[in-house]
Order: sequence, then C-alpha cells, then structure tokens
Amino acid sequence: MLRVEDVEVRFGGVQALKGVSLEVPDAALVGLIGPNGAGKTTLFNVITGLEKPNRGSVRLGAGDTWVDVTSLPPHQRARRGLGRTFQRIEVFSSLTVHENVLAAAEARRSWSRDDASPAQTASEMLERVGLRHLEHERVDMLSTGLLRLVEVARALASRPRLLLLDEPGSGLDSTESEALGDLLVELVQDGRSILLVEHDVELVMRVCHEIHVLDFGQVIAHGTPDEVQRDPAVQAAYLGTSAA
Amino acid sequence: MTTFLALSLTGLVVGCIYALTACGLVVTYTTSGVFNFAHGAIGMVAAFTYWQLSVAWGWPAPLAFLTVLLVLAPLLGAVVERVLVRPLYGAPIGVTLVATLGLLVTLLGVGFLAWPPDTTRVLPKFFEGHTITVFSLVIDYNQLLVIVTSIAVAVGLRVFFSGTRLGIAMRAVVDDPELAALAGTKPERVSQLSWALGAGLAALAGVLLAPLQTLNVTDLTLLVINGYAAAMAGRLRNLPATVAGALVIGISSSLVLGYAGPQVVNYVRPAIPMILLFVAVLFLKQERLRAGSLAGLRMPRTAGLRQSVGVGLGFVVVAGLVSGQLSPASLAIGGQGMVLAFIMLSLVLLSGYGGQVSLCQLTFAGLGAYAMGKSGGGALGLLAAIALPAAAGALVALTVVRLRGLFLALATLAFAQAMDQIFFNHALGYGGTLEIPRPRLPLVDTGDDRAYFVLLAVVFALGAIGLLTLRRRAFGRRLIALNDSPAASATMGVSPVMTRLLVFTLASAVAGLGGALLGGLHGSVSPNDFLLLNSCVLLLLATLGGLYTPTGAFLAAMSYAFFPELQKLVPELGQVQFLLTGLGVLALGRNRYGIGGQIADAGERLRSLRVHQVDRVEVARAAG
Ligand SMILES: Nc1ncnc2c1ncn2[C@@H]1O[C@H](COP(=O)(O)OP(=O)(O)OP(=O)(O)O)[C@@H](O)[C@H]1O
Ligand SMILES: [Mg+2]
Repeated sequence: MLRVEDVEVRFGGVQALKGVSLEVPDAALVGLIGPNGAGKTTLFNVITGLEKPNRGSVRLGAGDTWVDVTSLPPHQRARRGLGRTFQRIEVFSSLTVHENVLAAAEARRSWSRDDASPAQTASEMLERVGLRHLEHERVDMLSTGLLRLVEVARALASRPRLLLLDEPGSGLDSTESEALGDLLVELVQDGRSILLVEHDVELVMRVCHEIHVLDFGQVIAHGTPDEVQRDPAVQAAYLGTSAA
Repeated sequence: MTTFLALSLTGLVVGCIYALTACGLVVTYTTSGVFNFAHGAIGMVAAFTYWQLSVAWGWPAPLAFLTVLLVLAPLLGAVVERVLVRPLYGAPIGVTLVATLGLLVTLLGVGFLAWPPDTTRVLPKFFEGHTITVFSLVIDYNQLLVIVTSIAVAVGLRVFFSGTRLGIAMRAVVDDPELAALAGTKPERVSQLSWALGAGLAALAGVLLAPLQTLNVTDLTLLVINGYAAAMAGRLRNLPATVAGALVIGISSSLVLGYAGPQVVNYVRPAIPMILLFVAVLFLKQERLRAGSLAGLRMPRTAGLRQSVGVGLGFVVVAGLVSGQLSPASLAIGGQGMVLAFIMLSLVLLSGYGGQVSLCQLTFAGLGAYAMGKSGGGALGLLAAIALPAAAGALVALTVVRLRGLFLALATLAFAQAMDQIFFNHALGYGGTLEIPRPRLPLVDTGDDRAYFVLLAVVFALGAIGLLTLRRRAFGRRLIALNDSPAASATMGVSPVMTRLLVFTLASAVAGLGGALLGGLHGSVSPNDFLLLNSCVLLLLATLGGLYTPTGAFLAAMSYAFFPELQKLVPELGQVQFLLTGLGVLALGRNRYGIGGQIADAGERLRSLRVHQVDRVEVARAAG
C-alpha cells in the first residue's frame, strides 16, 4: 500500500527525519510510536505532501504497480487513496459536525466516479465513529477528544485506502478509546490499511499487526508488538536514555 | 554622463526616502505581525504637521522637525498600537488589514479637514540655496541631508537590532511571542515600541519627501505604496534587501523619467513600483499549507432557500414602493447604493466565504463598465461586461493564486494601482468620461430612472439569493472548509489552487457586471470611479457591514451612498464621518462579523427565545 524510502527532513539545524524507510502492507494496521519530537508527525506530513523531504521517496500502490508520489501536491495524493487526521486539530470551525464530514464526501464526489449520496455517506461515517447524535452541533461545542473522532469520520468520508491517524486516542476516556480500537480493527477488516501514531501504548499493542519505533528521526525498531516490546533499544528510548 | 549622474542622484534621494518608509513598515510588521496600510498616511500627517509648525506658526525648522519626529509621530504610533492593534492580536489577516485601512481613511479625513486642499502649501527645502559640486555634479544640501539621514538610520537600525537587548528582544518577539514572554519580555510593550519606531520612520520619510513636491494629502499617502514594493523585496523581513529594493525603485523610476519619451513616461513610470511589487510578491516562496487561524469563530447562520427568496421578494416590493416616493436625485443615490451592494456581494463571496482579501474589486467593476461602454450595450455588452472582468480576474488569479492573506492583498493592491495609472486614465480618458448605455430588456423601459432603480433592486436580490444558495451547497462548504483549514481540505482531495481560481474569477465577473450597471445608472464613468482608494473603502465598508451576509453588504453600501446627502442636511456630519469609520473599525475588534453579524446574532437570540418559550409551555403542560 505504502512504501517510504530513505526519507530525510531538516528544519534548519534540526534533523527531524534521517533515512526513514517503512512499509505499510495492504489491509494492515501498522503502529508508529516514539517519544515526543521523534518525527512522527513530520513523517505523516511527508507522506501526505504537506512537507517536502530533503531526500527520499514516497510511493503508493500494490503488487507490481507502484506510483512515486513524492512530487505530487497533497490533494492529488488524497485522490490516490490517502487520508489522514491531524494531531493539532484541523476541523472546519465554521461548519457543523455533519457539514465537516459532508464537505469531505462532496469533495470525493467531485473527483471520483463514486456517486453515492454525500449526505448519506456523511451520516454513515458519523454513525461509525459514534457521533451521529451530535451531527447538528457546531464543532466549537465539542471536546478535543470528540473533535478527533470528527476528523476520523471526515477522513473516512473520502474513502481512503490508507488512513494515517495522528494520535486519535488522546483526549478520549478509557471506554471511548476501547471503542476506537474496535473501530480501527473493523476498518482494517474491511480492507483498508492504517498507519497509527498513538501515545496510548496499550491501545497500539492491542490492535496493531506490526510496529515501527521512531526515535530522534530514525527507525530504531520494527516488528510485531511482542518483538518491539522486548527490544532493548526501545526500552532505552522510552526510559529516556540514549538509544544509541 | 552628467545627465545620467544627475538623474541617478535624484533617484537615489527618492530611493533613500522609500527606504526609510519601507524600513518602518518592516519593523512594525515583523515585530507586531500587523502590516500597516496607514503607514503612508502617518507620513502624510507628519509632513503637514511639520508644515503647520514651521511655516504656519513660524517655529524654527529644527525644533519643528524634532518635535514631529521624536515626539508627535512616535506618540501617534504608540496610541494606535494600544487602541487599534492590540485588541486585534491573533485576528485573521482580513480583519487587521481592514483595521489599518480604517486608520488610513481616518487619517486621510483628518488631513483633508485640517489642511483643506484649496490652498497650496509649499515646504521649503532644508538649507535652501546651499549646494556643493562634486565632479560637475551639483548636489544641494537637502539631497545631502536625505542621504546622510538615511545612512544614519540604516546604521542605527542595524546596531539596534543586533547590538541592543531591546532590539534583540524585538526580534525574539517576532519568532515566538509566548517564549519571549516567558523570558521576561513583555510582547505588548515591544510591539508598542515597534509602532512608535515605525511611525517615527514614516514621519521622517514624509517630512523629507514633502519639500520635493507640493503638499498633497492623497499623493503623500499613496506615494508610500512605493515603500510597500521595497518592503516586499525584503520579503517584509530583511532590512538590507528592503533598502536595496528601495534604491532600485527610486533610481530606475528617475532614469525612466529622464530618458524615455513622454509616452513611455505616462504609461510606464507610474507603474514601475507596482510592477516591482507584483514581481516581488510572485517570487515569494510558496507558503506551506497551514492550520486555520482561529477556532470557534461563529459565522452567522445561513438563511434557507425559502426564507431568502421570501426576503428577496419583499425587498423588491419595498424598493418598488419606495421608488415612487423618491426624487430623481435620491433615485440616483439609492441606485448607486444598490449597485455598490451588488459589487460588495463579490467581496462576501471572495473574502467572507473564501478568505481571500482583494483590494481591486472596483478595478474589475471598471473593466465591466469599459466593456459595456465599448461594445455599445445590449445583450452582447452585458456578456462582455461579465466576460472581460472574468478573464482578467482569472489571469490575475493564475498569477497570485499561490498567495494568501497579506501577500494576496498586496498583489491585488499593486494590480489596482497599476490599472489606475496605465489603463483607466487612458481608456476612460483623462478626467474625461466613457458613455455607458443601460442594458435593454423586454417589457421594461430601462431608460426610465424609476424602472432602472427597481431593476437594480431585482439584480441585488437575485445576487443575494444566488450567493446564499451557493453558500448552502457543496461549493460554499468547500470554500469555507478551504478557508478554515487549507491543510485538511487538501488532504481530502480539494485542489486549493483550482478552488481559489474559480472563486476569484466568479467574484471578478460579479464585480464587472456591477460596474456595467453602475455606469448605466449615471450614463458614464470616469477613472475616478474605480480608484484603488475606493476599492479600499469598499472593502472597509463591506467588512464593517459584515463580510458574511448580504444584509450587511446592503446596509454598508446604502450608508456609503447616502452619507453625502445626510451631510448636506447636517454639515457637521462631515467631521464625524471619519470618526465613525474609525469607531466602526474599533468595533471590529469586538465583533468580527460586523453589523450584519450583529443582526444575525440578534435574530438567532430571538429565535432561541421563542424556542425556549415553547419548551417552557410544554414542560408546564407535562407537569400539569
Ligand atoms: N515546521 C517545523 N519547523 C522546525 N522544526 C520542526 C517543524 N516541525 C517539526 N519540527 C521539529 O522536528 C522534530 C520532530 O517533530 P514532530 O512533530 O514530527 O515529532 P512527533 O514525533 O510528532 O512528536 P509528538 O509526539 O510531540 O507529536 C521536533 O524536534 C520538532 O521540534
Ligand atoms: Mg506529533
């Protein structure tokens, strides 16, 4: 589904990503974890086209057909099946909850051949994240946790094949985050791929098929949840000592 | 060779003055984050004040000079920061831009009021009559003063920003106000200081520039636009590049004036700074898609189709009834308000919904009128009046579409100013007029003033209904979404460029149609109808009325059209108009949706009151 190769990003003196490569297979739920400032959000920005890497490539595809999207603008990557949510909330603050999701469904209709009713799609997606009862609220009435769910619903409304979620669980209580986990599992069972950035390690360990660990802009570990948990480099990074 | 040197010297002097003004702009912008469109107006007021003190009241020149530069101007800057700028901290660019435009209009008003243009005022040059000669080149002391002062200021700024604690604190505030606050700097103090400093530099430029020409309120205010171009050369941050840009503008203008034939001079020279500004803006690095500015802005509720059609019908009926009672003069004024309101709808679409600030809407109106006049009217004329501005709008949009916020505003400003100078003055005749026919319709005699008035009311009502319909539909949501969060919009597959291009083109077409109808109303147009300043006032008023509702546009346009009439009845009002504008701008700090927003708010409150009453009745019934 997604192949990131040797991506490097520098912000002035800060090297946010150095030589990051990773892969997200079809219909897989892949976790991306790492301490604060490790470069997770930056990697999402590179994948979705909001940040230009200094080096490296991003490719989308399946089987033998891969398209290099490194030089494409964000909206064209979205049309190739990429969706995302934002860590720093990016809802449309002048629109209602329903309209937020509707806008995405309408956008999809304008660039795809899918002519499902946008209003229906929007309601359906809100139902899925459990916000149907709030659909006529203005977004400024919602808590940050719920706004993250609005973003999930909005991303789903463009029917992406790969969904990038940047800390969707922060701001949710434990029952809500459990429901979120179940939703993610369902979404992947439907055939989508998900790349999940999440600080709630318990959630990540429960739902992800494989996990990449990022520290100081580098992938320091990769494997199944069990493997990653046992990795000494990961333990060191999370205990705050140098990973090297 | 001597000519060349002499021309270069003149250009260098003017370039130095541009550099001073541009540095002032950059200092306030980088430190406070607000681009001061009234920068030139401050220079203008300073120059006149200096004239007042030194010539009218006979103060010694050095005393007057120092009083204006070191006391009055910085004080004005500090007060403006406290009263106007500070309440707008963190507001979207559209609002801060309009606030400083409001200041510009207010200061223009003060200028006209205090120094009426009916007398000619001349400022003597400094050290009149003293010259030195260097290699056959005669340099007068005034020129020398300008050059020496500029060098001193440049060195002073350099030392201040890199060598003093305060200067370094000012730079820190720009980079991160919160962090600077933690480090013990008070961002408000620093911002206030930058406004004082900026105003001082504006004043210095104004006072030095004034003796080189006759004192004129508008000219002095707008000449500073050249400073904008220079500031853009430094991307509004870099002082050395700004100075270099200013010198290039000054010297190249002077050389063109000296060497080129009168044809070229008429067409090209006034446009040089504008062209440079346009180019500088275009070479800006593409902005990254960023988060929307403020969360939780409450946009007024959008009326449903039935409601808007109902109100529209009512509006036309009332306009029809009222038109019977109006004198021919009032019909013309009311019609003007009606057309302006229609043109303002293009601003509601472009700026209100789309968040793109345009200072050239009347330029497109002018193109519409021009097309209507040249094509001889009729259906073809109407079509041309829509198509020509739409095409021009698309062309402008193609070049500026990457820009957002302030840079878009500056590019549209450059376009408007260049069109004023290069196109309208010639196409519509110097002060002369181009005749504009009224559209012909079946069943309606548009030659009749009353019928035309009602037609304009119908056009406005249709425009308003169309706008609201668009707002309720997918395209409206797309616009608002793009404005609220460009990043999120792009990641759902919306092309920001295409969307902005579309809306810019559409808004240009609306403005163009409005311009043709405006021309038809008066029978002719002149270059004065479409000046940049008028476009600024239009945006200002539209924002005061509320950029988000047709009601706001209508109220703003009508008060604009009728104000001169009121003033005839109550002459004292003339003094208040600018004050009112100023107060209106201050009110923006409180409610960013303007008067229209207030009305919509009140309506919503009324509605919820009713709902609550119903609730209470039901509760009572259930309880009983
Ligand atoms: N636009 C930017 N300009 C400069 N530095 C940046 C920028 N964006 C991110 N950084 C820096 O890059 C590094 C990686 O940041 P990033 O936000 O990707 O980390 P993250 O893993 O998402 O952290 P968190 O868990 O806190 O969200 C950090 O050191 C950050 O300060
Ligand atoms: Mg992050």
